[in-house]
Amino acid sequence: MPKLRALWLRILEMFHPRLGDADFDAELASHVEMHTDDGIRAGLSPEEARRQALIRLGGMEQTRQAYRERRTLPWLETLWQDIRFGLRILCKNPGYTAVAVLTLALGIGANTAVFMVAQAALLRSWPAREPDRLARLIATTPQGEEDAFSYPDYRDLAAQSSSLEGILAYSRHVKMLRVGAESQAVRDDLVSPNYFSVLGIDAQLGRVFSAESRPDNEPGVVICDSLWHRAFNADPLLVGKQIWLTNRGYTVLGIAPPGFRGLERGVPTDLWLPVATEYSSQELADRKSREFEVLGRLRPGVTAAEAQVELDTLGRRLALAYPAIDKARNVALISERERLREAMVPTLILMTAVGLVLLICCANVAGLVLARADARRKEVAMRLALGAGRLRLIRQLLTESLLLASLGAAFGLLLAAGLLRLAPALMPPSEVEIGLDLHLDASVLAFTAAAALLSVLVFGLAPAIQLSKTSLVSALKGEGRGAVRGVKRWTMRNALVLGEIALSVVLLTASGLVVRSLLYSRSLPLGFDRQRQLIYFDLLPAVAGYNSERSAAFFNQVEEKAAALPGVRHAALERRVLLSDSGGGAEQRVSIPGVELPQGQLNVPIKFNAVDGNYFRAIGTRLIEGREFTSGDNPLAARVTVISQTMAERFWPGQEVLGRQIVADGTACQIVGVVEDAKINSIHETPEPYMYFPFAQMPSDYSTLIVEAESNPKALTARMLSEIQRVDRNVPVSVRTVHYLMKQAFWDDQMAAGFVGALGLLGIFLGAIGLYGVVAFTVNRRSREIGIRMALGAERRDILRLVLGQGLTLAAIGAGIGLVASLAAMRLLSTMLYGVRPTDPLTFAGSSALAILVALAASWIPARRAASIDPMQSLRTE
Amino acid sequence: MGEKTDVWQGTLALMALRTLESMGPLHGYGLARRIEQISGDRLQLNYGTLYPALLKLEQEGFIRSSWGLSDNNRRAKYYELTKAGERQVKKAAAEWEQTTAILARFLTPAEEA
Repeated sequence: MPKLRALWLRILEMFHPRLGDADFDAELASHVEMHTDDGIRAGLSPEEARRQALIRLGGMEQTRQAYRERRTLPWLETLWQDIRFGLRILCKNPGYTAVAVLTLALGIGANTAVFMVAQAALLRSWPAREPDRLARLIATTPQGEEDAFSYPDYRDLAAQSSSLEGILAYSRHVKMLRVGAESQAVRDDLVSPNYFSVLGIDAQLGRVFSAESRPDNEPGVVICDSLWHRAFNADPLLVGKQIWLTNRGYTVLGIAPPGFRGLERGVPTDLWLPVATEYSSQELADRKSREFEVLGRLRPGVTAAEAQVELDTLGRRLALAYPAIDKARNVALISERERLREAMVPTLILMTAVGLVLLICCANVAGLVLARADARRKEVAMRLALGAGRLRLIRQLLTESLLLASLGAAFGLLLAAGLLRLAPALMPPSEVEIGLDLHLDASVLAFTAAAALLSVLVFGLAPAIQLSKTSLVSALKGEGRGAVRGVKRWTMRNALVLGEIALSVVLLTASGLVVRSLLYSRSLPLGFDRQRQLIYFDLLPAVAGYNSERSAAFFNQVEEKAAALPGVRHAALERRVLLSDSGGGAEQRVSIPGVELPQGQLNVPIKFNAVDGNYFRAIGTRLIEGREFTSGDNPLAARVTVISQTMAERFWPGQEVLGRQIVADGTACQIVGVVEDAKINSIHETPEPYMYFPFAQMPSDYSTLIVEAESNPKALTARMLSEIQRVDRNVPVSVRTVHYLMKQAFWDDQMAAGFVGALGLLGIFLGAIGLYGVVAFTVNRRSREIGIRMALGAERRDILRLVLGQGLTLAAIGAGIGLVASLAAMRLLSTMLYGVRPTDPLTFAGSSALAILVALAASWIPARRAASIDPMQSLRTE
Repeated sequence: MGEKTDVWQGTLALMALRTLESMGPLHGYGLARRIEQISGDRLQLNYGTLYPALLKLEQEGFIRSSWGLSDNNRRAKYYELTKAGERQVKKAAAEWEQTTAILARFLTPAEEA
């Protein structure tokens, strides 16, 4: 406590330094006078007495100094001095300061933004109490890993596991929330009753589902804080009221705490419903329908490995008990630590890429600091000559760098916050809200501070040490401004610029490859014609209370209306839309008489669609053989199917396919046609077997009407909507266009191209600044040499060539290093690249050519200035 | 005794506190003379080193100072113990005694062998 008090007083003293000095001077004077008095009384002469007194004191000035050091905090005082001096220096050179701060802000800002994304997307733990004990359960199958379990399998695991104290299940869906006259799509999770208790999350208002409750009569819902605000104006009386979801009313049980948006990163959940209110107990007993994702909480003290051993046994027991369904399946556990370890790889790749940019920025600023240091050699030499210590000098220079970095970090944070605001615009198109939970928090600030400090070490330390080694004599004599002095400094600066150019070539090569990959992806055949003006109307008659017969009639009626509209080329019905977020996933289990399936399985899951006769014609899928569906393929007629080319080749290679039978979910169907493969879920999927059934033979209560417009899809959409409204205004319709679907499908590739491309541009931009700095600096330093050359008869052309030559040599060497580095680095990208090899020579040539071109431009300005030097003047100023 | 202030600081502070405790308020010069006298003139300290030590004690709240008049009608700054200072003298003295007692055991020849 006394120590703290002393520290506090010493800090306070720093703010009025003069006050204490005067007081102590008076005290010292009185001390000396009293001592002198005593001396005189002992018989000494006044002069001698005073001399003795001063000797015994140990010197006036020494005492004062010792006292002053005790009174304040000397190191803090010097720091404050350094900061003030540094600020003065920075203010005196606003151009230098602005460029350096801007460069650092770009680097630090980019790093901060990417760190925030990485944290939200990859690193942040489960939004739950003690997230370390949570672990995802997945199924391992011969085909690979699967996320989804059936509800009975989940229940068996939950009941039998003793190493996990609780296991929850959830399944993600989309519903229409109706508030007043408006409808909006919301994401709902159907959850096991213990969902919230396993997570350890309680409602901020009302209650969550309790693990025991069986809400049989009245379906209850828990809604998220954001929806509560968005749709209900944070109505405090909402709990206990009814809200309308799709076709039912639900009682609001509670509001989840702010920030809790379910367990899926990037796809925030709006509300939660207990499974029992949505599914009958028969449906929940269906072991074949796998739609639940499962998370378990480890008992305290139980390791993931121990739990895995137990789950192994339980999984094998399931496979034995239900061989028809769970054969060859087992259960695996992904602990939080393992998840983080898996997340580290993409995080490191992201951070390395953006870290390279910061490195370039630092190299640039180092160049600027070096240039400034060079101009200050005289000042530094003077201070050294006057007795300043080298360490003190390094500290002063580092303080200046630290100031630059702090300013850079502050602006960088602003930049990152700006990017954050832009984030929603960068999200892929979607009907329901998506987006990561991005926000500034302590860890982000800590990261930014660390990035700034690290940059100080990178760009500030070397110039500071270099400068403090200034040789007194030569600097004061004005040497080093002549021809070829300070070779060491040159090599170092040149190395920095070489590194920059090499790095920007690496980044440019990467962006070139990603862009070429995007172009290739865009040229891939999709299995339908994306050039057509296709409009998709998603129809949900079930919301208006239709049963399946009425729905079928409704669909037909709407299709007839559409076909009759002028400007409509084709109209067709389908169950699932290709390449949309609801595009695939549902499968039927297919067995094929006469064909042996891999691993002795009885049947294989195959994805399917239900379409009507006009479908292939409307979207432009090519029929390879056989026929399309006709109106004759009705519920009364024999079951038929059209299969994809890959399915035909997989099961009947080189054989006649038409007329063969398959058994899909127990129903025998005859193959009547084969069509080309279409992309089901993503552009880059490998073709897989796919089946089409006649829409009439596979009724459903939802459907999408596809309309191919001859022209002007906008006007047609409006007319079509009013036609549908005229049939029944209560049926919700949402509209998508093929353009929207394409945007969605190419989003990943486009973002990768945009991100890496932006980095590449940033890199070459910074590289240009760096090169410009070096060349301009050389021109300054060599002005006398250039003057002499011109006086001796060199032409402007020769000088131009001399300076440009320096820039281009650097650029060429840098580009060479960059190409070699790219050869190694691009292998990291190979999983992201389609249709272009990571060593694509054209891209490599292009990126180095661009780098050289930019280098030429960057050297041009100082070269012109060098060529316009007046020899007389440059010789005179020295 | 030289200017070994690192050894000095702790002991000098204790001497000053102890002196102020027994003598009451003193100015810096008086305190320095007093310490010399009590040591039987075996301590020859640079008077200047006393002032940073006094300042430290003041910053730590063990003593306080105020300007007053000396016996010879000179203005002088007087130091006196605070309540915290009184407690500190006892604490520091006890600690010091313990330290010297332990050290004494090392310096005197062992008796039981």
